[in-house]
Amino acid sequence: MSEHSGSGGFLVRFSLKQRIEHTATMLIFTGLCLTGLPQKFYTAGWAQAIIRTLGGIDATRWIHRFFGWALLISTVLHFVGAFGAIVSKKVGFNIVPNQQDFRDAITTLRYYLGLNDKPARFDRYDYKQKWEYWGLVVGNIIMITSGLILIYPTAASRVVPGQVIPAAKVAHSNEGLMAFLVITIWHIFNAHLNPDVFPFDTSIFTGKISRQRMEHEHPLELARLEGRPPGEHHS
Amino acid sequence: MRIHLALLLVLLAGPASAAIPAEQDDCLGCHGSPGMTMDLPSGEKLPLFVDKATYAKSVHGDMLRCTDCHADVTGYPHQAKPFKNKRDVTVAFYEQCKKCHFANYTKTLDGVHFAVLAKGNRQAALCVDCHGAHAISRPSEPRTKISDTCAGCHKSVYDTYVRSIHGKALLAGNHDVPVCTDCHRAHDTADPREGALSLRTADICGRCHTNEKLMAKYKLSTKVVDTYLDDFHGMAATLQRGKEKGARLAPGCTDCHGVHDIQPAKDPQSTVVQANLVQTCRKCHPDANANFPGAWLSHYEPSWEKAPLVYAVVLFYKMIIPFMVVGIVLQIALHLWRVVVNR
Repeated sequence: MSEHSGSGGFLVRFSLKQRIEHTATMLIFTGLCLTGLPQKFYTAGWAQAIIRTLGGIDATRWIHRFFGWALLISTVLHFVGAFGAIVSKKVGFNIVPNQQDFRDAITTLRYYLGLNDKPARFDRYDYKQKWEYWGLVVGNIIMITSGLILIYPTAASRVVPGQVIPAAKVAHSNEGLMAFLVITIWHIFNAHLNPDVFPFDTSIFTGKISRQRMEHEHPLELARLEGRPPGEHHS
Repeated sequence: MRIHLALLLVLLAGPASAAIPAEQDDCLGCHGSPGMTMDLPSGEKLPLFVDKATYAKSVHGDMLRCTDCHADVTGYPHQAKPFKNKRDVTVAFYEQCKKCHFANYTKTLDGVHFAVLAKGNRQAALCVDCHGAHAISRPSEPRTKISDTCAGCHKSVYDTYVRSIHGKALLAGNHDVPVCTDCHRAHDTADPREGALSLRTADICGRCHTNEKLMAKYKLSTKVVDTYLDDFHGMAATLQRGKEKGARLAPGCTDCHGVHDIQPAKDPQSTVVQANLVQTCRKCHPDANANFPGAWLSHYEPSWEKAPLVYAVVLFYKMIIPFMVVGIVLQIALHLWRVVVNR
């Protein structure tokens, strides 16, 4: 996917499509949290204030469903795009977790604990990024499926036992909370507070990443792009 | 004895304070005669007889004089009154009670009866319609008197109520069950139409149905309100309070259990017994099929016995959410620790 930008200091890391997908996901996720969490914690004052501001529970639910449908469409488009890209062999499916990721995770954790001298050296996506990506994929599937069951409970009960509906509500409510917690803690740390990128990792918005950061964060990919053997540090 | 309106003379035009209030004996000199009436232009006869013994036994018997309420009467002969019918008389005296009972009078201004009166319906219940006039006794002694009083106008509702679990128990002498005013209130009687009252039923029914001591007596669950509020219906109903009338409203207790015709949940007549439940769901979910009531956990908290699938999902997230959060916080902490150590 990545290619030389031509200008010395920067490489192109994300295509326009990927940047648009990220921005859309960000907006949709914010919209869903803003209209969903107040429904989960509806007895709290802040939740009722948000719902009141949005025009009441009925308006809040309509907005939530609007973003829900947007999430469904964006997820389907992403899968179709990814499937098409793989079939046409434009890209390797380099976000699939493999054994190396588990080894990398252990190496990095040992490094954090002071048992290794160096952290793992990563290719295009490190294990944390893959984990977050697949977390989002699995989370989206759970949220979309349970969300559809909750919008159409009577239709759902034609196909599945009635008890699936309250189970979907529990799943939707908790998976949503977990997504919110993981994103606010994990993603905000990695994209903003992480000393490597502080205060703001802009590459997903500009599409560009500095060669210096590539060497630090994705040395294997950089070596591959530059036609060097991956094993050695290069400066 | 008949007194014609035409014969009444206008005598005292001066301020009321100038007159000496009539003592009861003076009034009863005339009004103590059984059968005393006055012909009204409507053709009705206004009874003017007051039984001294009845009044003496009433709650006011030992403290109020006639003119405390009939303050407009300042002497004899009485001033002519423009009453066309008996209802005119009641409406004219309606505000007399507030001199002493101001708090309850103020409450009535928020009540549905006053709202109906303000729209011009003069049949709407006023103080004396429920409490009586000269024979006022404590409104809740005996307790059945309350529902009997309301039945004076709301007969068909009363007939339904007395066949319900609450009504049957009341007539059997049970004082735990609600009478009309326990749910509807007495003076600031809420308008039950348009669903606004049904949105508050979790509070209203909950007053008794979350009372551990009371429910233990009848072996009823006190979890009914919490399980309802945890459910989608309870959330939506809570947030719809104070909304414009007429919009689609989430169900409260009475929307499933019935209102005046509430039966025990296991009674074959009950709207929520398994055999009738799908019909009840269809009131709001018209395309519900036989599977659909299975979505409702019957006020049970999820457990392996009652809803294993729901309980499994609950447990899964009870474990995975702390695991995830602790995991990522730990990794972040280690990462930052390494950054600090490396400096």
